Amino acid sequence: MTPARGGGLPAQVDAVWKLESARIVAALTRMVHDVGLAEELAQDALVAALEQWPAEGVPDNPGAWLTSVAKRRAVDHLRRADRAERARTALAATPEADDVPADEDADVLRLMFLSCHPVLPTAARLALTLRLLGGLSVDEIARAFLVDAATVGRRIADAKRTLAQEGAAFAMPDREELAARLSSVLEVVYLLFNEGYAATAGHDLLRPDLCGQALRLGHRLAALAPSEPEVHGLLALMELQASRAAARTGPAGEPVPLHEQDRGRWDPVHVRRGFTAMLRARDLGARDLGGAPGPYVLQAAIAVCHAQARRAEDTDWAAIAALYDRLAAQLPTPVVALNRAVAVARARGPAEGLALVEALRDDPRLRDYHLLPGVRADLLARLGREAEARREYARAAALTRNDAERAFLDARAADLVAAPAGPTLEEVAARFLDGLAAPARRAYGQTLRRLVRGLGGTTPLAATTAADVARVLTTSWGTAAPATWNRHRAAVRSFAAWCGRPELASDLVRRSSSSVPTPPVTPDRVAALCDDPAVPVRERALWSLLHESGAPVRAVLALDVGDLDRDDRSTHDRAVTWRSRTARLLEELLAGRARGPVFLADRRPGPARTPEPADRCPDTGRARLSYERAEYLFKHSSGGATLRRLRAGR
Amino acid sequence: MRYLMTTGQNSRAADEALFAEMGAFIEEMTAAGILIATGGLEPGGVVMTSQGDEITVTDGPFVEAKEEILGFALVEVSSHEEALEVSRRFRRIVGDGSSVLHRVMGP
Repeated sequence: MTPARGGGLPAQVDAVWKLESARIVAALTRMVHDVGLAEELAQDALVAALEQWPAEGVPDNPGAWLTSVAKRRAVDHLRRADRAERARTALAATPEADDVPADEDADVLRLMFLSCHPVLPTAARLALTLRLLGGLSVDEIARAFLVDAATVGRRIADAKRTLAQEGAAFAMPDREELAARLSSVLEVVYLLFNEGYAATAGHDLLRPDLCGQALRLGHRLAALAPSEPEVHGLLALMELQASRAAARTGPAGEPVPLHEQDRGRWDPVHVRRGFTAMLRARDLGARDLGGAPGPYVLQAAIAVCHAQARRAEDTDWAAIAALYDRLAAQLPTPVVALNRAVAVARARGPAEGLALVEALRDDPRLRDYHLLPGVRADLLARLGREAEARREYARAAALTRNDAERAFLDARAADLVAAPAGPTLEEVAARFLDGLAAPARRAYGQTLRRLVRGLGGTTPLAATTAADVARVLTTSWGTAAPATWNRHRAAVRSFAAWCGRPELASDLVRRSSSSVPTPPVTPDRVAALCDDPAVPVRERALWSLLHESGAPVRAVLALDVGDLDRDDRSTHDRAVTWRSRTARLLEELLAGRARGPVFLADRRPGPARTPEPADRCPDTGRARLSYERAEYLFKHSSGGATLRRLRAGR
Repeated sequence: MRYLMTTGQNSRAADEALFAEMGAFIEEMTAAGILIATGGLEPGGVVMTSQGDEITVTDGPFVEAKEEILGFALVEVSSHEEALEVSRRFRRIVGDGSSVLHRVMGP
């Protein structure tokens, strides 16, 4: 006989730990009222197991052994605590711990609420949840998120400190708080799931399976909070998405769209569990009269419609479109709106879908989102507008960052008939810029690059209309200061005149400089902007730092990670100092980064625009965030105010 | 990853206490999302053999009683060790006997 596979005793202890740790940590937290301490005591028990089990053998019930050793340590700790302290803490803790039978399930649920507490930044909630509820080690969490272990260790330590400082209670949230707190837990679980679901690139075989962890948490939550429809909705959504995991990539790693997937490869076990969870959500919803289904139940219902169709052509698109109508009312995000357009196109024809897509083209949030031109291309192709479809596929391919997806979009474009002859917009723009003196080339270059990207480089100049040009400029600079708008307008007018199509600029109206009143930036307004979860953390950290420090905008944008003394909340030279909100946002922003500019651009610069090494992150290659871009982003979010007003608004 | 666990005859008598303990274990494993399916199997069974064009059907039993499979569980676990641990917990409940674990390949 060959010896049993596996890593021997340490691996066995680890497996026991992953099954039992949530219960143990939860029980200890109730005893010592401090989740950080509880986790340390539980770890002590784990160390004791690793020391004693090899010599004494594995106990009959290893879970119970770990629990009782950990509880003994907790009692020792309470005894050691100073007398007055003990009287206070132990009196509060003992009756529950000893007299009343402990409700282990309720404790685990409390622990979930704590690790997903809204005072914590998102990254910390994810790490802490994996640590406390999943029993994952710091190294395992680091591998799961592809960051280094020190970063995760710091994130978890900071999170525990924050929970202690904020006095976050190990208790069930109040009735009025419950919905918001529960949605924070659901959000963490779904983020973990999506982090795992999207990460198809990871080839690290030791990378823990985040989808599996999220599903475990979802099942656990469904057992702990069985009367919440959204909990079952989330579980159903995750199970049904998990069922398609194997079918959604082809042999070469290329994405396979839902309607082209081999449905025989959908995992029936996940489908069945998804349906079971959905039935529960539906039963609860039916009992809860007047309560409309929440966003997770609606998304799960959409997933159910897909799972019920044996063939793609059997899909009940009318039902899906109706569900998206309701979802869009609850989650009015542009991405939901785009998915709704896809469903409407299937249900009621491509023309109606395209009409919804057209309405999204002016949304600046989707400006660089490759699926917008991708969806538009599909619909145009189905309407027989092949030349336009080709250009949109090419534009989508230029915007995506995923190689497999780019190849897929390029292939779709190539399937369509060749575009009409004639010079493309990109070629004409390049010739125009080449003929200019260097300063003008720089000034006009920004405008024309944006125009080319917005319309697609392969669009023939002849097919471009004044309305197209106006749309791109409005999406890009519609909320900018009048002077900025007029500068870009002038660039387009000059280009249009040069290439013999002056009418292309005819829809661009010159703006007078006093026409846009800028609202004052009050501290309340700053707080609202800095706490808006819909805004990326980079922007919020920058705004908060400018507001709290009063430092000049250029000086703040010039900061490198190495300039900051984050413990002291100031730069090493004390020129820029900040307070707690900025400190929190900086931690979130800089997680895992030790060098390079603090504020980075969204993407790597093109080869022709390589910045100085000092203005580039050595790890990611991304450039320092420019003043212009930072200004644009703030104007866009604040309704036209400039970054300098943020300083003055203190 | 999924494992199929099978078990033969176990020593502990199938009384109410066993059912209660086993019921709690099954409930816990299902709630954790670990247990996918489980069931007991009728002793004996049917053997079907194909040779060339010939398919023969024979009523069981066809193995020694002590080798017969009488129960199964299909579980979703995060590691081989976790599969072993879940199986250990099962064995602690049912008394003397043995289980066989196979990793399920695919889907």
